[in-house]
Amino acid sequence: MNQFQYMRVTNPKAAVAAVSKDNTTMFLAGGTNLIDLMKRGVEAPEKLVDITRIPLNTIEKTATGLRIGALAKNTAVAEHELVVKNFPLLSMALNAGASPQLRNMATIGGNMMQRTRCSYFYDTALPCNKREPGSGCGAIGGYNRMHAIFGTSTKCIAVHPSDMCIALVALDATVNVSGPKGDRRIPFADFHRLPGDTPQKDNMLQPGELIMSVDLPMNGFAGNSHYLKVRDRASYAFALVSVGVGLKMSGNTIQDVRLAMGGVAHKPWRLTEAEKFLKGKPATEATFKQAAELAMKGAKGHGENDFKLTMAPNSIVEALKTAAKTA
Amino acid sequence: MTKDTKNPPIDRVDGRMKVTGGAKYFAEFEMPNTTYCVIVGSEIAKGAIASLDTKKAAGAPGVLGVFTHQNMPPIPGWDAPVQGNGNGPPPGPPSGGEKYRILHTNKILFYGQPMAMVVADTFERATYAASLVKATYTKQPHQTDLTKNLEKGVTPKGPRFEDYLRGNADAYKSAPVTLEVKYTIPIEVHQPMELHGVLAGWTGDDKVMVYAKTQGVKGTQKSVAEAFKIDPNNVHVHTEFMGGGFGMGLRTWPQEIAVVAIAKKVGRPVKLVITRNQMFSLVGHRPTTVQTINMGADTNGKLVGLSHAATGETATYEDFTEGTVSMTKFMYACPNVSTKYKIVPLDRGVPIWMRGPGEATGAFALESAMDEMATKLKLDPIEFRLRNYTETDPEHNRPYSDKNLKEAYQKGAEAIGWSSRKAEPGSNRDSDWLVGYGMSSGTFNASKGGATARAVLNADGTLLLQCSVTDIGPGTGTAMTMIAHNVLGVPVEKIKVEYGDSALPNSPQQGGSTITSTVGSAVHQVCTSVKKSLIDMATQSGTPLAGIKADDLTVADGFVSADGDSSKKVAIADLLKKANLTTLDKTEESKANGKPDEQKYSMYSFSVHFVQVRVNPSTGVVRVSKAVSVADSGRIISPKTAASQMIGGVAGGIGMALTEEAVIDHRFGRIVNNNLADYHVAVSADVPHTETIVIDKPDPYINPMGAKGMGEIALIGFAAAVANAVFNATGQRIRDLPITPDKLLRTA
Amino acid sequence: MKDDEINDGSVENPGSSRRGFLKQSSALAALAMTPPAALTAVEKGLDEKLAVAFEQIPLKVEINGAMQQLKIEPRVTLLDLLREQLNLTGTKKGCDYGQCGACTVHVDGQRVNACLTLAMTTDGCKVTTIEGLAEGGPEGKLHPMQEAFIKHDGFQCGYCTPGQIMSAVACIREGHAKNPDEIREYMSGNICRCGAYSNIVDAIMDVKQGGAKV
Ligand SMILES: Cc1cc2nc3c(=O)[nH]c(=O)nc-3n(C[C@H](O)[C@H](O)[C@H](O)COP(=O)(O)OP(=O)(O)OC[C@H]3O[C@@H](n4cnc5c(N)ncnc54)[C@H](O)[C@@H]3O)c2cc1C
Ligand code: SF4
Ligand code: FES
Ligand code: FES
Repeated sequence: MNQFQYMRVTNPKAAVAAVSKDNTTMFLAGGTNLIDLMKRGVEAPEKLVDITRIPLNTIEKTATGLRIGALAKNTAVAEHELVVKNFPLLSMALNAGASPQLRNMATIGGNMMQRTRCSYFYDTALPCNKREPGSGCGAIGGYNRMHAIFGTSTKCIAVHPSDMCIALVALDATVNVSGPKGDRRIPFADFHRLPGDTPQKDNMLQPGELIMSVDLPMNGFAGNSHYLKVRDRASYAFALVSVGVGLKMSGNTIQDVRLAMGGVAHKPWRLTEAEKFLKGKPATEATFKQAAELAMKGAKGHGENDFKLTMAPNSIVEALKTAAKTA
Repeated sequence: MTKDTKNPPIDRVDGRMKVTGGAKYFAEFEMPNTTYCVIVGSEIAKGAIASLDTKKAAGAPGVLGVFTHQNMPPIPGWDAPVQGNGNGPPPGPPSGGEKYRILHTNKILFYGQPMAMVVADTFERATYAASLVKATYTKQPHQTDLTKNLEKGVTPKGPRFEDYLRGNADAYKSAPVTLEVKYTIPIEVHQPMELHGVLAGWTGDDKVMVYAKTQGVKGTQKSVAEAFKIDPNNVHVHTEFMGGGFGMGLRTWPQEIAVVAIAKKVGRPVKLVITRNQMFSLVGHRPTTVQTINMGADTNGKLVGLSHAATGETATYEDFTEGTVSMTKFMYACPNVSTKYKIVPLDRGVPIWMRGPGEATGAFALESAMDEMATKLKLDPIEFRLRNYTETDPEHNRPYSDKNLKEAYQKGAEAIGWSSRKAEPGSNRDSDWLVGYGMSSGTFNASKGGATARAVLNADGTLLLQCSVTDIGPGTGTAMTMIAHNVLGVPVEKIKVEYGDSALPNSPQQGGSTITSTVGSAVHQVCTSVKKSLIDMATQSGTPLAGIKADDLTVADGFVSADGDSSKKVAIADLLKKANLTTLDKTEESKANGKPDEQKYSMYSFSVHFVQVRVNPSTGVVRVSKAVSVADSGRIISPKTAASQMIGGVAGGIGMALTEEAVIDHRFGRIVNNNLADYHVAVSADVPHTETIVIDKPDPYINPMGAKGMGEIALIGFAAAVANAVFNATGQRIRDLPITPDKLLRTA
Repeated sequence: MKDDEINDGSVENPGSSRRGFLKQSSALAALAMTPPAALTAVEKGLDEKLAVAFEQIPLKVEINGAMQQLKIEPRVTLLDLLREQLNLTGTKKGCDYGQCGACTVHVDGQRVNACLTLAMTTDGCKVTTIEGLAEGGPEGKLHPMQEAFIKHDGFQCGYCTPGQIMSAVACIREGHAKNPDEIREYMSGNICRCGAYSNIVDAIMDVKQGGAKV
């Protein structure tokens, strides 16, 4: 690891000021991703601004729902009474991620900002457009078992690895950020981006912007939520495919639904077409299968990850069945 | 020794050290002024270093030296042709090219090969400086893909690896029921939790202290002494605790020797701890292996012919071999058996034996094939094995010293609930999950090597045992304690064991499941000798026990006493005093059994594994939901640590079966999932409650304790049991490990 | 932004020895923990050794009940601080990347991976390592979890063990040891390559059911 300057700030303003000055300064939250990347030589900031002492870790009710501070730890959020009760999908997704130790360290903001786990991105001797624009994409034609089937580009086929984000995109979250030019709100679905020609950019956050909190609107999905994570081992592994579901049921009829997938795209992948289709339909395996088929439109494998073309729709059906409690 | 009685379970003797953090592993010893070494590895698989820029690194804060092929201090013993590494591979030129010497020339023979070793005063500074070393290369095309180079296979030298034939090689072809199948296993990597490395410091011109991560301190001592042409007695190697080895510590790695050389040059102790990424390229692996099994059986379920061909990888610079096809030669009664074993030199780091070495690879193929054949014959897999059961070793035409495999099948079947198995694949459903049962057997050669042990009995009744053996986790110290207790009656808590230091009496390295037998025999012998002296002293005229025959005396709890008359006894302390001794101090060497081929009996440990799996057909996820392992490995010396070895084999076996695969991107010739987040070893959630069963009958011939090894058999065969269970659950036969969800979805 | 906005106390300054220096500096320099002159020198590759003197900054942290006043490079992780500088080698390095759990310690009562924790971030915190778990110290009476690991032989080589035990204690304290399946899930952040899991789960269940204070 390179030597860097370390500073600690206790309010957002100071944090933003510190980071806006130049592009070699980075925020340090839980450090579970950033320190790892620094050890591997993928990131080499010259200054680290420790933001963990900024009091942005509260979880509180708002007029329309819940506000979660960006520095709240993954564990604290997953186990918070209001989250467990109103947004079980978020709890489940958080608990499916990483390990208990890492979740005690990782923050909500950091989780959103974590970078892809693509092996080529991590190995500084191999080509990767995300790490080193223009060097080529090692995963195309290579080891791409974990990679995307939706929204890829010829420059990058990486996935966003977060579990939490699948729940947040399904739950229509909004991100509150504060930056050198003031505060703004970003709908969660627009927070992350597709790789296009600039895979080095994971999301829409502007230089110097600090994530302050995430807002969740109240919903009626608490009773029928499920997060299904399919992975190579039973725990402590990133998703091959994951599915987040929230259903609002009226008898056996689906009144409303939220559906999103992880492990399949450069951003948390919301399945709007499938959602539209399912609204008002009976909760049966047949409709679930049709929804899954719709959801898979435009999916494309890259060789080693072709199996996701089967695993993803199957997982959608499984998750819907579990959420609807028809299983 | 009362080998007819089972041993009680005792706590691991080093337990307290391990649970308090008091146990010290190599990197944790303090040597004043220790410096830190970091390796810079090559980024290509084959070619040469064109330029190496070390200037920036050398000028970085705290840096004491940057060592490359251009300025590496000489290693005198290495200027002569390499004679293996003390406990390394056989001498002589490798099949694939030239030998490898660390930091010797600009040639690159494998990805990750050390190009520079950077030494600085702190770990952080050494790591940073290493990142500043930049190389350019002249690349050459590399070959890292075994499947594309199978035709380059050569039969390794040595009688063990010659093609084997019994009867007619083609007999299987004309059998009524035939099977011809190919199995592959990927590269698996040991990945013990402790990172590899070494801490070395010179304490004189020709004297060096080495804290190593080795499965044999004597082997490392010899390697270092040979490399530096110094007296082995001047090389002090210490490895009391080792954070797992699984085979990767069975040789001295070149970088260890380099560190010793560099320590001399910088004049300060040097500590090297390689990174987890480097653990995938610098310390060996289980080689990718492609195997074909041809099997023929008659309609009664009797094997007619069996042939097994295996091709594994090695490096261009060293020949690596293992017993992949051994088991096929003797496991089943079959008149016509042929085996072939070949190795292909690739531009990769050299493999090293990994738990259950080649036998685990071979057993996956053989025991999967047995299951496939049973299916074809519509026979229960246990029944099929029983129909081909053999009480004599068909390879050597002689009896087994002891074999209780039938009992093992039966006990294991009962414990797993084999009767719940449905013969029809895919017919056992529990809501969305398919349930399946599978079994397999394993075997590994049992032997007794030579070793020396020292026993010191003190007047206060305490006993000290010494042997240089390392305890990498199986509980060797605990077994030594138990054996001494059994012979001398000294209470377990009054026995102290010292091991893992080259200054102690000779022991072979910890590996190949031989240590309990080998070191245990030495302990048994030296304790027996102590006992004999005590009895001699106790029965001298004038003592209360005079005239009583040795057989009618017992040594226990600080006394020698007459059997049946406990009033007749003498305190050991008094005996010593009378003889003017403060201690009774003996060192004895126990000899190795003769060569296996010259024995009257074939000696093997056997195991049987049973699993229940649950498979989700829509996601392809497999979970092992129950596991039972049965060991038939003679008398169990330490039941607790023995059971631990077996549950460890199950965890390792689940990894081998379901998750472990090091993936090479052949375009670059390197392993791309080179870390523990991407190379999946089993975690707690993957491993069900594991039931272990031991037959626990003494082998009458192997050694005085009747004990055989179990480290290898705990793993050997396990992966096949899982594959067989997956087939039973789904009807899908996966022949290339690991059985990941994608494979089940692909064949669905 | 004006200088006084930053000097309103929102910037904590671990480098108290340089407080004077910081006061005279521009806003940007005030934020920095290393004097810019030295840094510039480093950037220009003039003489990196110049930077050494400025690289260490103070850290105050309570480890196993003892207050430690240290000066360290900011890039030092808690794990390397414990192992290489404080000789608290009970905490193990298994991967250095957050992938194994061997480095598990408690920071302010929470189990974390010391390898991904910059030591500087524990300033003012309480750290407990395996050496500080048993009340009587390493020679004294063992913690019930340590006893249970011995009783159930919850280890082989012992290398993952300190991390397993720190995690196991936390697992019970967090309320995640209700049944074996829950224990397996909540202990999955600690890899044991020797594969002692089955016994580890038994040990934790035993402690949990025994009701001893953990
Ligand atoms: C072995 C391992 C396994 C894992 N498994 C999973 C898994 O299965 N599922 C999963 O979802 N995740 C997994 N993770 C990832 C983990 O969830 C993330 O590392 C973590 O959430 C990042 O949070 P942090 O607070 O530690 O971020 P940091 O590492 O501190 O920061 C990450 C990035 O976010 C930036 N940042 C942090 N906070 C803010 C903010 N408030 N505003 C703006 N930028 C900010 C930082 O500058 C940095 O660039 C795993 C990690 C590891 C190491
Ligand atoms: S997929 Fe993206 S992150 Fe991976 S190598 Fe290609 S460009 Fe890099
Ligand atoms: S050393 Fe920290 S998780 Fe492996
Ligand atoms: S005891 Fe060896 S890794 Fe767990």
